Amino acid sequence: MSTTSQKHRDFVGEPMGDKPVTALSGIGEILGKKLEQQGFDKAFVVLGQFLLLKKDSEIFVEWLKDASGANSRQAGSCAQCLREWCDSFL
Amino acid sequence: MPLFEEDPAHLSKSRLKSDLVAHSVALPPAQSKKDVYVELHLKHIDQKNAADFSSDEEDQVRDVADKEEDAEDAEIPDPSGLTDDDLKAALLEHGFKAGPIVASTRAVYEKKLRKLLQPDGQDHLNGAEKGVVYSDSEEEDEEEEEGSQGAKEETVERSDQTQQESSQLSQEPVKDTFKDMFPDTQATPTGIHATRRKPIKGAAGRPIQYVYPDTPASPTTQERRAVERRLVPIQIQILVFLIVVVLLYLIYACVEDNSFSPFVALLESLNQGSDGEEGLLLPAETQDTPALSGQE
Repeated sequence: MSTTSQKHRDFVGEPMGDKPVTALSGIGEILGKKLEQQGFDKAFVVLGQFLLLKKDSEIFVEWLKDASGANSRQAGSCAQCLREWCDSFL
Repeated sequence: MPLFEEDPAHLSKSRLKSDLVAHSVALPPAQSKKDVYVELHLKHIDQKNAADFSSDEEDQVRDVADKEEDAEDAEIPDPSGLTDDDLKAALLEHGFKAGPIVASTRAVYEKKLRKLLQPDGQDHLNGAEKGVVYSDSEEEDEEEEEGSQGAKEETVERSDQTQQESSQLSQEPVKDTFKDMFPDTQATPTGIHATRRKPIKGAAGRPIQYVYPDTPASPTTQERRAVERRLVPIQIQILVFLIVVVLLYLIYACVEDNSFSPFVALLESLNQGSDGEEGLLLPAETQDTPALSGQE
């Protein structure tokens, strides 16, 4: 997690607007589809869940692993990018 | 042993609580409703009474096992049965400040509570996740353990073979395993080896296996050693002294030749001056002499 992906930088660099859930770092097409099935179709919905969990990365990672079947790295990447986005724009 | 059965549902909450405590059953969270207590009461205390009445030994054993399981269950109240507020309170009891518990977050918080209730990490539910988190070390450890156990089993099997066959061929592998670790020990048919205790300090006539470095020196000797370490050997000292003497002599010789020359020159000039005066006098004399000679 020391290095960040291009996707991470793209997401953290600007307001998320109406970006799809797959714009989140660590969420690819398959995980995005699983999340969409549960109603998490936009990135801001996932952000809402992240905020509901009080920006607790650990709990959020647990949730994301349960909800989408993401592995620890993917969930951690998503949590990191949401946290950094919140630091910049919230 | 109570002679009459009381319906736990008719007991007061405090009475239920005290009964549960008396039977060393873990109490549910403080905010739990009476139903929870009644349930626990039915589960543990009534079962125990039933066990008391039954004379069948096997049944008792099974009951005890059941009770242990129940005790474990009671230690971990099912978070899914709690209300949102209870769940939040239970999490707070364990030092975790939960956010709003809504439909989408409840499952996560239930899981968190389960995890908090089992800090030992022996939960089979969380075992897989923890395995992922600590996969590296754990897997290695398990592999090592399995390997060592396998090795042990192998040696045991082989030693059995030696007992049965009493042939030297099967004794070889036994040696292989232990020869590496204890090259001095002899292979025994049982595979059990007694290793001699190693001498600690070579006491009682045993050979000294480890010699301690010199006993700690006193400060003065240490100082002396330090000084000695700083000093150069005596031969080099003499050599340097001789070189210095030679240099000084050479300088002295050069100085004698050259730098006294001003004085020598002065003395010579003085001598020359006196010579010059003499030279001046001489012509006067020569001048005088002709006059004298002319007078003559």
